[in-house]
Order: sequence, then C-alpha cells, then structure tokens
Amino acid sequence: MDATTQGEVTPQSAGHPVLAREFVEVSVDYLPSPNQFRQSYKDETLIEMVRTDAMTFFGVKDFQDRNIHKFFLEFEGRVLENTSQSLEQLLGPHRRSAHFNLIERVTQGCDSNGRELPSC
Amino acid sequence: MVANYQAVENWVLAEGILRRTLDAVRPIGRSGREAGAFWLGTRESTARIHAVILPHGIGVEEHRGRWTVSPEVFGVVTRWAKPRNLCLLGVAHTHVRGVPPVLSWSDRNLGVRFPDMLAVIIGNGGDDSGHLDWGWHVFEDGDYRSLAHHEVRERVRIDREGQFEAWTADANGVQQVRG
Repeated sequence: MDATTQGEVTPQSAGHPVLAREFVEVSVDYLPSPNQFRQSYKDETLIEMVRTDAMTFFGVKDFQDRNIHKFFLEFEGRVLENTSQSLEQLLGPHRRSAHFNLIERVTQGCDSNGRELPSC
Repeated sequence: MVANYQAVENWVLAEGILRRTLDAVRPIGRSGREAGAFWLGTRESTARIHAVILPHGIGVEEHRGRWTVSPEVFGVVTRWAKPRNLCLLGVAHTHVRGVPPVLSWSDRNLGVRFPDMLAVIIGNGGDDSGHLDWGWHVFEDGDYRSLAHHEVRERVRIDREGQFEAWTADANGVQQVRG
C-alpha cells in the first residue's frame, strides 16, 4: 500500500471502519545548510523523532555548557515546545505533508561544562 | 541519513554587504551597544555572500557587551531565505569601543556553530571600517578558529562590483532596505 492509499477503509473492516495509518511527507530546513531534510513518517510519529532525525541529518545536537543549547522545530511560525505530540495531533487527521524549520534556542546561565543533553 | 557539506575554501563578498553592515551597526555602536548582521548567499567551494540581513527590533537585543537574536527571528529569516536558496554563511557583529575584535566566550559558544560558518567581529562599535582590521573566525572541527591576516587576504575576496540585497528582520518579518 503506498502513501496515497493509506487511511482508506479496508474492505475487511466494513461496518467497523478502521483507518490505516497515514503517512506524512516531512521537510525541514536549517538556515546554514544548503540541504533540506526530507522523510516520510507515519502520522503517529512523535515530533521528537522528527526533531532528532533532522538534527542528525544537519549534524547538530543539543548541548550544555555554561548554557543550554537546544534545537526546536518551528511550524508555521510557532516554536514546538511539546515534542511528545504526534504529527497527527499537530497537523490534524488528513494533512499529508508538513514543513518545519530547525532553530536553536540558547538558555543562558547554567554552570556545568560540556555535557550533551539527554533526548526528551 | 546525514547531510554532506561541501567545504568552503573561499568567500566572495559583495562590497555593498560590508558597507550596509557598517551603516547599520555604527549608530548603535556609537551609543555604546552591540549590533550585527547576517550574511547569506550560496554555499559552494567558493561561497558567494550577496544578501545581508540586519536584525533589529522585536526579538533582537542590542546591549553593551551582548547582541542576541531570538530563535523566532531565526525562524523568520529561515522562512524568508530558503525559498530564495540562501544559506546563512556568516554572522558579523560589533564589539564596543576598546573591546578587542576577537571572539568572547559567549560569541564562541552562543553563536551559530556550523561547518565553515564565518563569525566576524567589527571593532570600535563599527568605526573600524577596514575589513582587514576586523576579527575573522571560521567554525572548523567543532570550534571557531581565528583567521590570520594573510588567510583573510587569501580566502576572503571583496567584489567591488558585486550585486547584493539588504534586508532588515525582526520577529514579525523581513523587509527590504530601500536606497
């Protein structure tokens, strides 16, 4: 079954409609990079997984020195603080594509050195 | 899946980029505060910088000893730049009078950390007008490295005839600078 047919009611479930998972084509830009991250995800995928995959693609990571450096996905002008929601929860049930920007937020004032942050 | 980046060997800057950067940061520098600019262009072995963004206003903090641009402004600039196939290639900012044009700890660690990113420090609040007097640094192998004078001469070429665009940005959007 390809992405375009996902989500249709299967014949076996007639009378008891069950939607198959839909796929969302995701793209992510990062200002310094000439490359764009593109990947297809099931709509149940958490935003955190998209964030992590995009960071890996762009070669950046959350980091803590005196400050906390954390990367966020921005969607339609909104910084996504809640990365435990799914693509479906963010986009609604029928949207098949989404574009994000990867941006960094630095929170100043920590005093530990050189630690990578655990992923959420 | 990891992106591969072509190493930047040299940079070509339209001279107007330097002029517009100085025009924007000087008035703020003369009031004792830091200011800066984003330099954008095409990332290739010889990277061409032909657009300057002058962040100012909502989401931009210009203080003595600190110039910061919020993630929201970075988001606005990203949304504007990517459809134009522009990448951020360098960030220039001032140090106030009497502070040497070298990267401070916060410049080094709070700035954009990406391979071959330029971080340029303009001394004396923008009154150091000669680009060879500025502090030039490049991000390599996980940290910024200062470029020696001869390296700046060899690797950074100023194109006196180069076409360029100048824009301002804040958290609300990007606007073209006229004139």
